[in-house]
Amino acid sequence: MASEDDIVQIVNGFLLNAPPGEFMEVVTDVRGLLKNDALLNETAPATFREYNTEQMIKVASPTGKHQVLITKYGELGNGEYLDPYGKQVLTFDHIKGEVTNHRALGSGDITQEVEPYRKAFEAEAFKYQNEHYENGATTVYGSKNSDGAFVVTTCISSSIFNPQNYWNGRWRSVWTATFSGSGECELTGNIRINVHYYEDGNVQLNTNFNKAKKVPGGDPAKLSAAVFKTILTLESEFHTSLEKSYRKMGDTTFKALRRALPVTRAKIDWNKISSYKLAADMK
Amino acid sequence: VRGPDTRSVSGYSRLPVQKEEGSEIMQDIECALDLMRRLPPSQIEDNLAGVIDIVPDLTEELLSSVDQPLKIVHDGDSKRDYLICDYNRDGDSFRSPWSNKFDPPLHDGQTPSGELRELEIKLNEAFDIYRDLYYEGGVSSVYCWNLDGPSFAACILIKKTQDHSKQGQPMKGTWDSVHVLEVEIPKKGTAHYKLTSTVMLTIDTNEPGVTGSVSLAGSLNRQEEKSASTSEPNAHVVNIGTMVEGMEIKLRQTLETIYFGKTKDIANELRQQVQSSVLKQRKDLTKQLNSQLKS
Repeated sequence: MASEDDIVQIVNGFLLNAPPGEFMEVVTDVRGLLKNDALLNETAPATFREYNTEQMIKVASPTGKHQVLITKYGELGNGEYLDPYGKQVLTFDHIKGEVTNHRALGSGDITQEVEPYRKAFEAEAFKYQNEHYENGATTVYGSKNSDGAFVVTTCISSSIFNPQNYWNGRWRSVWTATFSGSGECELTGNIRINVHYYEDGNVQLNTNFNKAKKVPGGDPAKLSAAVFKTILTLESEFHTSLEKSYRKMGDTTFKALRRALPVTRAKIDWNKISSYKLAADMK
Repeated sequence: VRGPDTRSVSGYSRLPVQKEEGSEIMQDIECALDLMRRLPPSQIEDNLAGVIDIVPDLTEELLSSVDQPLKIVHDGDSKRDYLICDYNRDGDSFRSPWSNKFDPPLHDGQTPSGELRELEIKLNEAFDIYRDLYYEGGVSSVYCWNLDGPSFAACILIKKTQDHSKQGQPMKGTWDSVHVLEVEIPKKGTAHYKLTSTVMLTIDTNEPGVTGSVSLAGSLNRQEEKSASTSEPNAHVVNIGTMVEGMEIKLRQTLETIYFGKTKDIANELRQQVQSSVLKQRKDLTKQLNSQLKS
C-alpha cells in the first residue's frame, strides 16, 4: 500500500509531466482518481507554479501589446514576475492561470549595471524571435552572479495548441551569456521540444539539447549582435541535425524494425503459409 | 476497448462528483485511460504503476486494458523465447505457447481446451513464419482462451528491437504489436472476428552537441471487424492471418506518417528555419507574379 506521501509524489510527478496545453486535463484526471481534494490542494500551488515556470508560459502584458514569459529567472517571490521590457512586475496566479495585478519596477527589482547589455540583447532577441518563432515570445533578464560577472538570460517559448486535431507542442530555448566587462563571453544554451499527438493513440516527441560556445566580448551593441549571430547559427545547426535524424530514423531504424512487405514483395498467401516454412528450411 | 478522446475539460474547481457506485467505477477507469493517453509513453510502466498505487481497486481492469511493452522470457523446456502479458498470466505464473506449461509451475493453471490448443499451436507456427517474413527477427507468441460456447479469443504478440549502440550507432528502436481478437461463432460454417490492435513504437537517439537526446515514443490503436466463412480447412488461420497482416500494414503506414511526418511538421511550425521576412517576401513575389500573369 502506497503511503499518502508516496501518492502525493506520484500525483505531482504526473502533473509535471503533462504535455503542453494539457495541464488542466491531467489535473481533472488526477482529481477524479484521487478523490481527495484536500490532499491535492496542499501541494497544488507549488506544483502549478513549478509547471508554469518550467514550461515558460506566455501571458499578455496587462499594460502593453507585448507578451511576457513566466519563468524561474524572473521570479521575485509572492507570485511576482519580472517584465523587464514593460518596465513592470506582474502578479501571476498559478491556480487561476492569469495575471491578477501589476506594478512599476522598483529599484531593487533589477540590476541597473547590467541594463545597457540587457536592453541590447533584448532588442536582438525580439528581432530573432520575430523571424524564427511566429508562435513564440521572448523575455530577457539581466543579473550579476556571485563572482560579479554579468549574466544575461534570453528565454524563448513557442507553443501551438490544437486539441481539435488532437495535438499540441512547445519549443523552449534558454541562452545564458556570462561575461565581465568586454572580456570573452561564455554562451550556454538549452533547447527542449515537446510534441504530443493523440488521435487514436499517444505519440510524443521529446528532445533535450545542450550547447556551449565562447563569443568575443565588446560593448552592448557589439556583444549582443555577436551573441545572437551565434544563437542563430547554433539553433539552425540543431534544427538541421534534427531533420537529418528524422530522415535517418524513418529510413533506417524504422525499416529495420519491420519491413513494409516480405522479400517476395507481396502479401502472404495464408493458404500456403506452411510452404513458406519449407522454403526457409531448405536454405 | 479504447475509443477516441472525447473528454471535455472541467475547470479545476468544477469537477462533478459521481454518487452512484457503478458510474463511479466507470469514471475512474475513464480518468485512468485518459491519463495514460497524455503521460509520456517512454515512462509507460512507471505511469501505470503510479496509477495502480492511487487506485489499487482498478488493478485488474488496468492491467487488462492498458497495453505495456512486452517482456521476453525463456522457455527452458522448449528452448525458445516467448512473450508475456496479461493474457497468458495466471496468478504470478506465465504460460509458454511452445510447451503449454506455466513458469513458475502451476498444477491447475488455466489452459485452452483440447481443440483450441490445437488451433493455438497452428497459429503460433503460422505467426512464427509471418514474424520471420516481416520482422526478420524478434519474438512472437499467440495465446487463445475459451469464451462462451464455441466462441474464443486470441491475442497475437510480436516484439522486435533494434540496437546497434555497441557498433557506435546511437539510434535504437522497439516495436511491440498486441492484437486481441474476439471470435464469435453465430452458426456452424461462419465466424465473426473483432480485432483490437495496438502497436507501440519507440525510436530514440542521443548525440550530445548535435541533436542532444531525441525520443519518439508512443502507440496507435485501431479496431476492425469482419465475418468470414470457416468451411475450408485451416479457415481460422487464414482469416486471422489475413486480418492481422492487413491491420499491421495499415498501422505501419499511419505510424510512419505520424512519427516521421506529423511530429516533425509540428516542430517546424514551432520554429521556422527560414526567416519570416524571407517567407513573406516569397509570398508577395508569388502574388505579384500571379496578378501579372492574369493581366
